Amino acid sequence: MSALVLFIAVLALVIINVPIAIALGVVAVVAMVASHGNEALLNLPLVMYTGATSFPLIAIPLFILAGAIMNASGISHRLVALASALLGFIRGALALASIGASLFFAEISGSAVADVAAIGSILIPAMKRKGYSKEFAAAVVSSSATLAVIIPPSIPMVLYAAMADTSVVKLFVAGIVPGIIGGLLLMAVAYWFAVKNNFPVEQAFKLARVWVTFKEAAWALLLPLIILGGIFGGVVTATEGAALAVVAALFIGVVIYRELDWPHLKQAMIEGGIQTAVVMLLVAASALLGTYLTEIQAPQKLAAAVAHLTDNRYLVLALLNLLFLVLGLFLHSAAAIILVVPVVMPLIQAVGIDPVHFGLIVTVNLGIGQQTPPVASVLMTACSIAKSDIWETTKVNIYFIGVLLLVLILVTYVPAIPMSLVHVFYG
Amino acid sequence: MLARLHRAFERALEWIVIALLLLLALEVILGVVYRYLGNPIVWYDEIASVLLAWVTYYGAALAALKRAHIGVPGFVTTLSARPRLAAVLLGEACILTFFALLAWFGVRVLQMLAGDTLATVDLPVLVTQSVIPIGALLFIAAELLNLPETIHSCRGHRRTAAGVDL
Repeated sequence: MSALVLFIAVLALVIINVPIAIALGVVAVVAMVASHGNEALLNLPLVMYTGATSFPLIAIPLFILAGAIMNASGISHRLVALASALLGFIRGALALASIGASLFFAEISGSAVADVAAIGSILIPAMKRKGYSKEFAAAVVSSSATLAVIIPPSIPMVLYAAMADTSVVKLFVAGIVPGIIGGLLLMAVAYWFAVKNNFPVEQAFKLARVWVTFKEAAWALLLPLIILGGIFGGVVTATEGAALAVVAALFIGVVIYRELDWPHLKQAMIEGGIQTAVVMLLVAASALLGTYLTEIQAPQKLAAAVAHLTDNRYLVLALLNLLFLVLGLFLHSAAAIILVVPVVMPLIQAVGIDPVHFGLIVTVNLGIGQQTPPVASVLMTACSIAKSDIWETTKVNIYFIGVLLLVLILVTYVPAIPMSLVHVFYG
Repeated sequence: MLARLHRAFERALEWIVIALLLLLALEVILGVVYRYLGNPIVWYDEIASVLLAWVTYYGAALAALKRAHIGVPGFVTTLSARPRLAAVLLGEACILTFFALLAWFGVRVLQMLAGDTLATVDLPVLVTQSVIPIGALLFIAAELLNLPETIHSCRGHRRTAAGVDL
């Protein structure tokens, strides 16, 4: 059975609303029986089990848990207060504070969906009260949440590293500069909007206020930085760092801030468990189909076919970027990574692209995918908080998406931007 | 009656998933602490991986119950009631068949593995691998509990979600 037939079969099942993980499983089962007979299905439970036991991916539930605990301990409003104290004197202060708070929150959270929920639930109502349009409020919070997956830690990067069998630590380091550039560019666009629409200034700049809010937020900012330092310095692995982040989060919530909101935390843990399960079931099912694809050497054949057409890596990257942008319209980022990355890795290696560099491209690209409807998880969360229409919000968000596209182009074609720090740290 | 069963099943799965998640976090934390005390736990990686698989399959049933698996529901919502029902029922049949096969062959594999233990600790593989047939049956139960609502939703043009994202 050729790879094309398998692809069409998966597509047909997905179109009739079979979850993608199960569509992969069903097609793999048919392929296994067709080529090796019924007894081949004894492999089904074995692969579905081992596929779900990937040790590096344990970092995913742990980072989700750490973010959930920190968020339940009142960390978000402290970060927002600090960002407001720093940026409140500029026109459009609340919009800038939203981007600033996202820059801070990104060191704690590896998930853009968690970021938009945490920051959006505070700042979107505040912006609406100050007369910002609900579409603008949703757009600015939604687009700045992308920083959570670009700046370490990042759950999509953990997933990519496992799928591409590359270093998650190097990926984390590669995200730092593009994340900061993205944050500053988003602020520039927000400021342009603020001047055009005459959005209000919040408060005069006072060093005393910055100091007070910094002291309040210091634990929340410093502990994650220490943990990231531990990961970058090779003291702990990413998974162990994630476990330490859970301890740090509990310490901050229970000992420092003493305001752990249990009902909220319980709900966040249930959601975290579900997110983990959904992603891991996809990983396991893709391992099932992957064994068959490897048997018929589909990824290698694809690499050979494309490399035969062109060995220009910039062209290959442009094509892959286009593929991921289109997928991002219809697919969640986790699914796109699990489905595409293992298949295109031989191609990436064949044309000589650094897998860490490619990982950052994929992360930024799929961060954009979370902003582009019809399937846009982060945008939809922002819109549901703002009670704004998804398409109306997109008319504003398109400017911010433009900024993120610029970051994507920079990351793709100026490898020094993501890779310089990696080379400094790891040679 | 069905609604109460649905709710009870959901609560039970929620608590199992929370417990497994906390156990996983605790286990990795202990592993790190003991390693830095110069007294590494030999079974730390293996048990952590087992716990991840357990979170996966108990969580997958919960996700099915809450319709949180990632999909592309856009197409069926554009269909009129009758073809939509046909498409959705065909999809459900595929899902149920897949998990029935997984449960059936999962039990057969368990029979073959009887007597084996994990590499680093004296824990029967029968226990760790049991999550596959149990998880598959829980998934089937979740789909069946949702089936009346699934069929009912085909009458309207209500959009369903595309699942959870990270």
